[in-house]
Amino acid sequence: MNLDSEIQDFDLVILGKGAAAFSAAIKASELSNGEMTIAMVGTGPLGGTCVNVGCVPSKYLLEASHSVFRPEHPRMAGIYKSQVGHDFAEVMKGLRSYVAHARNAKYVQVIENYRNVRLFTGLGKFVDRKTLAISDPDSNEVAAISGSNVLIATGSHPTEPNIEGLKETGFLTSDTIWELNELPKSVAIIGGGAIGLEIGQALLHFGSKVTVIEALDSLLPQTEPEIGSALKKHLEEEGMKFHIRARVSKVSKSGNRKSVEVITHRGKEILDVQEIIVATGRQPNTQYLNLEAAGVDTDSRGQIVTSNTMKTSASGIYAAGDCVSKRLFLETLAAREGVIAVSNMFGEDIRIDYDSAAWAVFTSPQIAGVGMTENEFSKKSGSCSCRVFSLENLTKASIMGETEGIIKITVDPKDNKIVGMHIMAPNATDIITEGAYAVGNGYTVDDIIATSHIFPSISEGVKLAAQSFIRDISRMSCCVE
Amino acid sequence: MEERKVKLRIYGMTCDDCVATLSRGLRSQNGVLDVKVSLKEGTGELVVDPERVKPEELLKNKVFSGPSHYRATIIDQSKGE
Repeated sequence: MNLDSEIQDFDLVILGKGAAAFSAAIKASELSNGEMTIAMVGTGPLGGTCVNVGCVPSKYLLEASHSVFRPEHPRMAGIYKSQVGHDFAEVMKGLRSYVAHARNAKYVQVIENYRNVRLFTGLGKFVDRKTLAISDPDSNEVAAISGSNVLIATGSHPTEPNIEGLKETGFLTSDTIWELNELPKSVAIIGGGAIGLEIGQALLHFGSKVTVIEALDSLLPQTEPEIGSALKKHLEEEGMKFHIRARVSKVSKSGNRKSVEVITHRGKEILDVQEIIVATGRQPNTQYLNLEAAGVDTDSRGQIVTSNTMKTSASGIYAAGDCVSKRLFLETLAAREGVIAVSNMFGEDIRIDYDSAAWAVFTSPQIAGVGMTENEFSKKSGSCSCRVFSLENLTKASIMGETEGIIKITVDPKDNKIVGMHIMAPNATDIITEGAYAVGNGYTVDDIIATSHIFPSISEGVKLAAQSFIRDISRMSCCVE
Repeated sequence: MEERKVKLRIYGMTCDDCVATLSRGLRSQNGVLDVKVSLKEGTGELVVDPERVKPEELLKNKVFSGPSHYRATIIDQSKGE
């Protein structure tokens, strides 16, 4: 292809088709009243990780698994155990059908409304700062495009750790597990982060024997240690097994069984399982972009370095989403970053605020957090004040019989402003938004206390956690304001 | 004095009055030496004194701020001849 003669010009080129790409394309269309010509380039289905292989299918699987597990484990007096019949293959069929529906409704049909957006299927690669070549799966160049501005939003993919025999033995990841039709009777999950624990609990609730191998000394290191250990205890009570501070040295296959050699502080252990799931993190999709040609800097992991305005080191090139160098990798952050990048292309001066970004793990009970942990704030400021509120003291949790959980609030002792909130509770993913408002707007524990919370509710726990800064809540009747 | 050419993509223009409004607004900005706005191309070509105005500051001109419906992005910026 002669690049010079066939370059198609656009106002904005977006590399990627996921959350960051879509939010950027929609915002750019709104700001320009549909005049901005946009090329959206990418491989794979529209919608990217979240809807296709991330948040949406994993939450579907978890909800389905809880529907099976909870009737078998009633928590209230007078409610008897009942066995729920289920067909795993049908559940997975339903999951894939819902994913297709969500992709169609939220992405495919949405983008059809934007006549200024043209979709290109293929791999985009920089030729220079403004020009990109698009190639098909056989590496044939199928188009050349240029953009006055470029947004890199190519996302990430699961890492594959360098473990002897892993590739030959075969394994599943959060990209591939959704094609399962048969529940594996036993599973070894390498990685005790959010993805490993969510998939692990879902399979456990369906009836798999699940063992999680984690290299660090706690689960979910981004949260408070009390929450990591409480979740581990809860999952162990449900039947999940853990090898903490352990590593997998090699794996192998014999017939339809897989063998996992784990090195722990006790020595070597061999796990005999039907399936292996790798959940050791994700890496950015930047290796094929030829970023050097555009002058875009990356960090040691290949993630794109940006300012808090989402500008990269190259003029006119922005980045958003999981391909960006940062600490939290969330669909919600990706979408926000996409909007910020585009707004700044139009001369605004908006900055991303990672401190008030809430994250979640959708296990049961759910885990959610925002801002700094006690340890992080202490390291930063030299002092901090925090309270841990147990759900055992929360009426709604007691009624539900789900008292295993805590709400921990960390404040800056100088002004009582809330700098972090971490929750393990039913509906933690819903009530953490109160923490996000508090951290983002500098609210104090007094602001939380002065706000009416519904009784009895899980959200009341946030108020009680705040009240525990000013009084002994064990000597407090219900509803003291 | 060093001069710099800045090319803007301007959105929201529908008629010659738009061209006049945008030209007048941009020309009044400190550091802007020359303005050529094209309705057909949807662009504005400016010559600026880079010591008095940065290209990004052109996007903050009042003609691109609410309640105005005009918006712009930078297409190119290069040193003048």
